[in-house]
Amino acid sequence: MVNPLISDRDVDFLLYEVFDAPALCSLPAFADHGRPTFDLVLQNSRRFAREVLFPTYKAMDAEPPRLENGRIVLHPLWHKIYPQLVALDVIAASRPYAAGGQQLPLLVTTLASTYLMAGNLNAAGLVGLTAGAAHLIEEFGSDALKQDFMARMYRGEWTGTMALTEPQAGSSLADLKTRATPTGEGHYRIKGSKIFISAGDHNLTDNIVHMTLARIDGAPAGIKGISLFAVPTRRWQGSTLVDNDVAVAGMIHKIGWRGGPSLALEFGERDDCHGWLVGEPGRGLSCMFQMMNEARIMVGANGVSTASVAYHQAVLYARERLQGRPPSVKADASRPPVPIIEHADVRRMLLRQKAIVDGGLALLAVTALQRDLAGHSTTQHERHRAGLLLDLLTPITKTFPAERGFEANALSLQVHGGYGYSSEFLPEAWLRDQKLNSIHEGTTGIQGLDLLGRKAVADGGAALSILTEEIEQAVQKASAAGVFPAACTRLREAMARIAELTMQLAQKGLAGDVEGMLLHSADYLELLSIVVVSWLWLQQATVATQQLGQDQGDADSYQGKLCAAQYWLATELPRVSHLIDLCRSGEDSYARMQPAWF
Amino acid sequence: MKILVTAKRIPDPGQKIKLKGNALDLSAANWQLNQFDEYAVEAALRLTEDGAAPATRQGAVTVASLGPADVQQQLRSALAMGADKAIRVEAKDEELDAVIVAKTLEKLVRRDQPDLVLMGKLAADNEGNDVGQRLAALLGWPQATFACSIQVVDGGKALLVGREVDNGVEIKKVRLPAVVTVDLRIIAPQAVKNGRTAANFAYPEGPRYASLKGIRAAKDKPIEALTLSGLGVSTALQVKTHGSELPPARQAGKKIASVHELVEKLRSEAKVL
Repeated sequence: MVNPLISDRDVDFLLYEVFDAPALCSLPAFADHGRPTFDLVLQNSRRFAREVLFPTYKAMDAEPPRLENGRIVLHPLWHKIYPQLVALDVIAASRPYAAGGQQLPLLVTTLASTYLMAGNLNAAGLVGLTAGAAHLIEEFGSDALKQDFMARMYRGEWTGTMALTEPQAGSSLADLKTRATPTGEGHYRIKGSKIFISAGDHNLTDNIVHMTLARIDGAPAGIKGISLFAVPTRRWQGSTLVDNDVAVAGMIHKIGWRGGPSLALEFGERDDCHGWLVGEPGRGLSCMFQMMNEARIMVGANGVSTASVAYHQAVLYARERLQGRPPSVKADASRPPVPIIEHADVRRMLLRQKAIVDGGLALLAVTALQRDLAGHSTTQHERHRAGLLLDLLTPITKTFPAERGFEANALSLQVHGGYGYSSEFLPEAWLRDQKLNSIHEGTTGIQGLDLLGRKAVADGGAALSILTEEIEQAVQKASAAGVFPAACTRLREAMARIAELTMQLAQKGLAGDVEGMLLHSADYLELLSIVVVSWLWLQQATVATQQLGQDQGDADSYQGKLCAAQYWLATELPRVSHLIDLCRSGEDSYARMQPAWF
Repeated sequence: MKILVTAKRIPDPGQKIKLKGNALDLSAANWQLNQFDEYAVEAALRLTEDGAAPATRQGAVTVASLGPADVQQQLRSALAMGADKAIRVEAKDEELDAVIVAKTLEKLVRRDQPDLVLMGKLAADNEGNDVGQRLAALLGWPQATFACSIQVVDGGKALLVGREVDNGVEIKKVRLPAVVTVDLRIIAPQAVKNGRTAANFAYPEGPRYASLKGIRAAKDKPIEALTLSGLGVSTALQVKTHGSELPPARQAGKKIASVHELVEKLRSEAKVL
């Protein structure tokens, strides 16, 4: 058996049984599409990921890019897969026809992209970055920039990056120093250093457009002084591309995502780096948030994909690897050894991975669905509601697959035993890859602050109320179907207590104790993540129960869903109460701890 | 060049086979296009285009299938790859045999007059490998089976077809119109030469992946719906399925102490001596 990367059955289950993707086609934006189109899109991603991308993964992990004469040289396999990836038109899949896209719902394209990520995350990452960068220009750029940059990026002729981070200002963008000097000729001269720029240089395309944050001369300090620029590696001089003074200052030697380069870039060493303003001066960060939010969901998709490919590898291994005998016949050496999947503890490890992977995939789907509804619903009320829920879910969708995915990836390695702890087997590579997801595009710590400090308390907790409504609906459906009654009660109670807790913490913040309010933001993020994923498991279990009752489809897959749901609700939901207590108590050990005491 | 390509849907060969009683249970089957038919679609597209980007086409590719309405999904998949139109003849899988399929195709060919019928060498479900041969006989056309290369010659009036045979590759010249069934290697980067595509042009290995633009375009391409009775094909089955069963599970191996014992067991248990 070969690794399916992502289970087709699980994706179809989410799209067609849980979230009703074809219903989106009643919205004018998606009226052209239907299930036949969605199925072809998925079929393409599945096959391309399995036949073309996955076979390149190990070789690209083993031989990272090289920095030669100031330029990055990629693994030769990149040159084989990139043109094929571009030919699929996936870069602009979800963008409007007018921008050169195919106007597909994100619910479909996001799930389709998980196959590509699970097959080879570096290749899929380059597509995602380019799409996000081009989308910034589409949304905020001038017509000239759209024609010069965006169209070429959506066609894959050029690629894109996000150039935010600077050596002295990692996550703290308020401190960034890169400067932009007006030239009076419609562009700016850019000067500064950036670091950790993924795909910041390569030899795949003629050009790379860096979406760069910088301060226009004389701009105020802090966030308000930051503007967004499109800065290409090469710029037009007449009809030829000439060097635009963007130099590779160094390459990061990463432990994961090793197929693609992450670079330190130097803009304007020779004072000859031209950049073009995107959006209004001083609005750079708010523009950039569009790309960052997209990137955060992409990180979540990557977390799920990286955990999924490792989970499927572990299942395949556990079915084939013969070792030991069940406890009941342990003493009987004449009995043949059994596949390790026969051992209860191995099944525990596999089911835990499944609970995380399928739960994460559902989280990704529900988040992508909110993006579609927020952008394209026909009423302002529905768009607003979906937008609020999307805002609340984004830090969770970014973090849950990263943190729990890392746990799942470690379990996949564990299932492989001593072999898993060797580089001959793939699980260690995926474990290394996964670790980045809790770091890039806002660390887990930052996501916790974002969730509690902004998203949960915005508009008097409006988003949390919407989540409560959604959970109530799911609980009612589950109760009607007789699914996990104890979990239904627990989930309902949890939401009531979370609303109360959030109000209490918000009041603490309003009273001036912001530090006290945010002290347990990481626990709060974990708490809400468990609740949201439990909600999604309850929905999946309800559908699976109904389908089994009607003798519909693949019984094995529904039984698997029910066991995974049972496992998740039995092992994780009880932790909610404990986490609420912890957040409420204001437990202050690390608040009091002094640097010298460590 | 007008090409008719056949496209059969089959259950995913990677899926575990399920039985209900003594019949195949295909209720949870994942249907897909027979891989050899997909190779035939790819070969037909290569015969009608120039390999450049954007490619210019000369000729038309029609894809035909027999089956229930669901088969449209496999036909759309071929249209998304680039075929121009499709024909679906309404039928239930269990009410078809190779004779009915071949006679149906004969009617379509007589009606539409293609220059070439391209087919997979067999369908990977029952591995029948006889529809192409039957069709050629019904039409009285030349046939070349197991094609691993196709070259258009004589100003488009004939094909040089490389056939995979037991002791190598046999090159046959067939005049058109003809029936050609294709083997795996027809999708090698330079297996198809139409005389227009640059001689050094190399396709990526394998059948192409549809682009999203192709998928969207496929939605608006015509799928003609026909019936067996409308075409005047008799629906009497000449091949009947009496039952299906899984092969017996393999017995565990045994270690044997001596050659003598081996000979004994080959004689008494395996009964091969």
